[in-house]
Amino acid sequence: METRATTEQTKSLPSLLQRVPAVAWVLLALIAFFAMLAPGFFTLGNFLNIAVQGSVLMVLALAATIVILTQGIDLSSGAILTFSGIIAVLSMQAGLPAPLAMLAGLLTGLACGALNGFLVSWALLPPFIATLGMQGVAGGLAVVLSRAGAIYADAPFFTFFGSGRLLIIPMPFVVAAVAYLCTWVVLYQTPFGSYIFALGGNEAGAALSGVRTKSWKFGVYVFAGLLAGVGGVVMAARLRAADPIVGVGWEFDAIAATILGGTSFEEGRGGIAGTIAGVALIAVLRNGLNVIGLATAWQAAVIGTIIIGAIVLDVLLKRKGILK
Amino acid sequence: MTGVPLIAARGIYKAFPGVQALDNVDFDLYPGEAHVLIGENGAGKSTLMKILAGAYHPDAGTIEVQGNEVKIQNPREAHSLGISIIYQEYNLVPFLNVAQNIYLGRAPRRQTPLLGALVDHKKMHADAETLLRSLNTDVDTHATVKFLGVAQQQMCEVAKAVSVNARVIIMDEPTAALTSREIEQLFNLIRLLKSKGIGIVYISHRLNEVHEIGDRVTVLRDGRYIDTKQVSEVTVDDMISMMVGRSIENLYPRNYREPGEMALRVTGLSSQALRLRHVNLNVRCGEIVGLAGLVGAGRTELAKAIFGAAPYDSGAVEIFGQPIEKNNSPAKMVRRGVGLIPEDRKSEGLALILSVAENVVMASLERLFPRSFVSGKKEASVVDGAIKDLAIATPSGKRQVQFLSGGNQQKVVLAKWLATNSRLFIFDEPTRGIDVGAKAEVHSLMDRLVAQGAAVLMISSELPEILGMSDRVYAMHEGRVVAEVPRAEATQERLLAYMMGQENGNTRNN
Ligand SMILES: Nc1ncnc2c1ncn2[C@@H]1O[C@H](COP(=O)(O)OP(=O)(O)OP(=O)(O)O)[C@@H](O)[C@H]1O
Ligand SMILES: [Mg+2]
Repeated sequence: METRATTEQTKSLPSLLQRVPAVAWVLLALIAFFAMLAPGFFTLGNFLNIAVQGSVLMVLALAATIVILTQGIDLSSGAILTFSGIIAVLSMQAGLPAPLAMLAGLLTGLACGALNGFLVSWALLPPFIATLGMQGVAGGLAVVLSRAGAIYADAPFFTFFGSGRLLIIPMPFVVAAVAYLCTWVVLYQTPFGSYIFALGGNEAGAALSGVRTKSWKFGVYVFAGLLAGVGGVVMAARLRAADPIVGVGWEFDAIAATILGGTSFEEGRGGIAGTIAGVALIAVLRNGLNVIGLATAWQAAVIGTIIIGAIVLDVLLKRKGILK
Repeated sequence: MTGVPLIAARGIYKAFPGVQALDNVDFDLYPGEAHVLIGENGAGKSTLMKILAGAYHPDAGTIEVQGNEVKIQNPREAHSLGISIIYQEYNLVPFLNVAQNIYLGRAPRRQTPLLGALVDHKKMHADAETLLRSLNTDVDTHATVKFLGVAQQQMCEVAKAVSVNARVIIMDEPTAALTSREIEQLFNLIRLLKSKGIGIVYISHRLNEVHEIGDRVTVLRDGRYIDTKQVSEVTVDDMISMMVGRSIENLYPRNYREPGEMALRVTGLSSQALRLRHVNLNVRCGEIVGLAGLVGAGRTELAKAIFGAAPYDSGAVEIFGQPIEKNNSPAKMVRRGVGLIPEDRKSEGLALILSVAENVVMASLERLFPRSFVSGKKEASVVDGAIKDLAIATPSGKRQVQFLSGGNQQKVVLAKWLATNSRLFIFDEPTRGIDVGAKAEVHSLMDRLVAQGAAVLMISSELPEILGMSDRVYAMHEGRVVAEVPRAEATQERLLAYMMGQENGNTRNN
């Protein structure tokens, strides 16, 4: 028995390394690759850049993660992001003070999330359908309200959240960090968090334990909508403008970051720590491809390939027992 | 029985579309007793208990809790009345830890001002720890439930049930997935709970458990109340005849005959991921070969590897003398006449929202309808035949499988594979959760299959079933086949010793 145990040990990686998901290895490889190819890549300035660029995606990916933990899906987060930004900027243009206008943006996200939640929990629509509909509604309203063009706002309080700094840390990053902290508290320190895992892991069992599953599922979508609203306001603050197509496709990046981070659709497995790695990978990829100057059209294809490659790698290594 | 009953249900009626699940049923429970509830699949046992636990509402009837009439609207109210239930279905959340599962829906909050919305993890784990120790178990409260063994998960369910300060704990087939040693552990726990004055309702199809753990026994048949007896006054045969309304002559009907051609030969099969090590075994036509082992010994994994449903690293599999290329797919194995009746019927054996008929023909569509057009008539004749052969309790072939009782769902899985005309069957726990009558039917069906020249490899955790049905038995321990025992030499003690790795048998390689 003893000898067998040790031979098995030597065959595979040390146990600590086994726990590092494949996405982290791919991330390191990418960083090394870009650093060798483009001198401008491996600099503090560029890493701050990546952090800013990744921040909004982080906020959105947090939302995607909690929704996927419940075995749901949110296809509307990109559209809600756009819509919330438009409402915030329009409110400022209408003369509302910046803090209130930004609040209006957040509330827009919250309301859209609430509608998603209602459709899923009580109208019993599959999340895929409900949020696909919401994608159309929020995306469409954004175009209508902005008259299909970018609209601008530059109140200092507002733009501070996009380009300001707290000491040396860029504000979007601060916002993402706060969002992460809040989500962490909700997920791991409140009963709501346990119910999120329960909804994905055993919804019927949770209901029989006396958990009000419908209300909490509603809560999940509300929270996700609020996060999308946060993302939308920060995004608009960075651009000093709201654009009716700025959020198109972001839901896919958010979902990809979640899956890359090891959260899966089975039984409520996963968590938000892995999502950081997923977001980092996508942010590094986008930035790196820009720095080495790959044409935009090619970028999408390359990013898609690498995302799928990383997920497949993770699955294969786990199946072979090399990773845990 | 004297004193005020913890629970007294009178004249309970409950109908589901197409079935009268409960038809004027009475049931009561006193402090400190274990009241066993038995009956065939679909007799209404789970339904009655779900009513007491607030998951269903009765159509008519009264329920008194400690002498006061109550209406139990939902599981929460049942908890507050001190009634908790361990359901037949798995009810834990896989990716939460033990403490979170025990207190799901009732986690203690922090007392610090402003932080009242947060869970007090310290208190929760301390409480869970105290609770688990008082139940004499050593499950780690921080362990993720998904990675616990079945027995420990069961302990977790019991702890969860106790944690609501329950005076009544209902256990719906708690031992279905446990091995004999784990069952003993559970029984000790039940005795402990009884000594604390808690009343236990115990549902099981293992009738030999009734005398060991029960004080009174109530029998249901087809939704009707048959009788309640002191356990000491009835024999197993009495219970069987009360359950089925007739007596069953032989639970293990076997006609042994000379085995024929080699149906399955496995040589040196190893897989690191499945933890299988150099497995050798064979099954001939006309034989039922038992595969014994504790939970986690690798029996299910082996079955899946053979069936092409899980990959293996090295070794060879031959089916009817033909070598199978490594890591084949189940679809190809089905075409070669192999059928796997999986252990976990909900996730692997059935499409719950499809009808009985659709499930029955699912694996044999290509055989039944070679020209790709499904003929309703032909399908109906196959399905009706199966319903009759296996005595599946369903109003018609059109009923969704999810509405059948647990045991009848298992019969549908069997029917599905029988319809394929396979010649090698791998049964993984074929009679788990099914009643004696159905068990006898399934057993005689297996005997009929081998009489017609099929070969059967049967995984079972019930040693009496292994001993009663097998021509030969292989014992597995930690991923290896440690012994091959012919029928004449197989005894419960000997097999147990092999299964627990205490003795190394002669691993004959042929
Ligand atoms: N939710 C439901 N909808 C429709 N029919 C149901 C439902 N639940 C149970 N039934 C039917 O009610 C009857 C009693 O089922 P129940 O589950 O109580 O049986 P049981 O005695 O627990 O059987 P088993 O031993 O197989 O678990 C069965 O005919 C079953 O098909
Ligand atoms: Mg039942």
